[in-house]
Amino acid sequence: MFLVYNTFMPALEVKNLKKYFSNKNWWQLRKKPVVIKAVDDISFTIGKGEIVGLLGPNGAGKTTTTQMLLGTLTPSSGEIFYFGQKFNEHNKEVLKRTNFCSAYIGLPHRITVWENLAVYARLYEVKNIKERIEKFLKEFEVWPLRNKAINQLSAGQKTRVLLAKAFLNHPEILLLDEPTASLDPDIAVKVRKFLLEQQKEYKVAMLFTSHNMHEVQEICDRIIFLNKGKIIYQDTPTGLIRKLKKAKVKMVVIKAKDILERYLKAQKIKFYWRKRMIIFRIDEEIIPKALYQLSDRGVRYDEIEILRPTLEDFFLEVANK
Amino acid sequence: MNFSRVLAVIIRHLYNFKHNLERLTDSFYWPALDILLWGITTQYIQQANQKVSNLVLVFLSGLIFWQVIWRSQYEITVNFLEELWNQNLVNLFATPLRVEEWITAVFSLGFINMIVSVSFAGLVAWLLYSVNILNFGWLLLPFFASLLIVGWWVGLIVSGLISLFGKNIQSLAWAGVTLLAPFSALYYPVSSLPVWAQKIARILPSSYIFEGMRKVLSTGKVPFVNLVISFGLNFVYLLLSYFFFKYCFAKSREKGLARLE
Repeated sequence: MFLVYNTFMPALEVKNLKKYFSNKNWWQLRKKPVVIKAVDDISFTIGKGEIVGLLGPNGAGKTTTTQMLLGTLTPSSGEIFYFGQKFNEHNKEVLKRTNFCSAYIGLPHRITVWENLAVYARLYEVKNIKERIEKFLKEFEVWPLRNKAINQLSAGQKTRVLLAKAFLNHPEILLLDEPTASLDPDIAVKVRKFLLEQQKEYKVAMLFTSHNMHEVQEICDRIIFLNKGKIIYQDTPTGLIRKLKKAKVKMVVIKAKDILERYLKAQKIKFYWRKRMIIFRIDEEIIPKALYQLSDRGVRYDEIEILRPTLEDFFLEVANK
Repeated sequence: MNFSRVLAVIIRHLYNFKHNLERLTDSFYWPALDILLWGITTQYIQQANQKVSNLVLVFLSGLIFWQVIWRSQYEITVNFLEELWNQNLVNLFATPLRVEEWITAVFSLGFINMIVSVSFAGLVAWLLYSVNILNFGWLLLPFFASLLIVGWWVGLIVSGLISLFGKNIQSLAWAGVTLLAPFSALYYPVSSLPVWAQKIARILPSSYIFEGMRKVLSTGKVPFVNLVISFGLNFVYLLLSYFFFKYCFAKSREKGLARLE
């Protein structure tokens, strides 16, 4: 019975999570407080072995959410459950089974890579410390740097050490904040491949934030889109892109530019020119009809490219709103 | 309490000690310089004024014993600051590490480094001025223990404040404990202080410790009353400082530990 329950239990469940900040300090008695709703009543789950992307423009509440999930920021209200256990009541047990990596966080910079990982392995009560450290330093190709101090490493090398740290304790859920931000493209590809292998092999669940939309599209099973502290969309990458019905059309016009411009203005379609090429966005469904109408009015072009919307287009569309 | 995690924090700072020349300076250079400077000064005063007996012994012992408070509080506050300077606080407290385990670790580090620094300072005093604090043997040990506790609670209060206000007040790590020095009767009796300062001295365990130690140095007998009062006050302050640190850290978590880095 217990096993069946475990199989369907989400790795992470967030219920009505809120984080409000006030700009008033206790000594500012006369100041009228302004409440900032950094995270405003969000609820979501992450299944075992699921990779979920947390996206949103700057100030959307991604970092605040991640910090609350790590226990380094106390929520104003709401509940967090890991593996069915309430986080604030079982945080010690829960944190043993989770880990975290962020490109924007440090490690003690005077001590060596090996020493750092040995410390973190002990903090997570890892058994066979030497084997685990060696395995992941080799996996992320930083084994030759094991005796170097952290402050002698490049940003990319440091990120790889942080990734090695994140896997030391066999985590069942990983919180990854832009884990590939400072990596060379070839290493970033390897890291993505490794993350997907871990997902398949060990059913590691991941909450993944990144500004690289291509990466998010490739790696995430589902995306949670935050804006102004609220979840505004929650869907698969393809599902989100489908919400954006507009395709990008690039056309090299050779005749009747003015007619084309008049047509687009009448349809209230925004456009811009790049030398001889006009670029505009239009509903995918009406493209055939529009091209027929343009041709009928004498507009001629010798090159046309129709680009389906991407996750980046979706991000820009929502962020600009 | 998980001792593997306590050990991890101790090892983390010992590694840092190994790679960081600045920390070696704190442990050896400053104590040696203090003893050299004050040794020469007190020797000069002693020669000029023969009426005061044991001046060098009193001064240098006070200086060495002050190292106990200084080292133990310094280890707590600077080790906390180290995590902020290294942007490691979030990493550290995103592990199963509990605040109590961190406190136990830094208390132990304070003890280890105090032993190293005080032994070194004692050695320098013996080599340069033939002042041997070991002559008093076990008599001074309870005073050492009481001084260590003073360093612990001062360290917790300062670290609690740093956890609230961040690196803006980091100089408290160096300056905080020196605020106690004038009222601790390090080199002079409490009775020589102005009346208002005597009132402050009476509520500080350090004043009872230093007065008691001077009695040990001059009479060879342990004044148990001083010892009991100092331990009693220390017990209260240690308990209060523990809750103060826990409160400040919880408040800091409400604002987010990441903001401190």
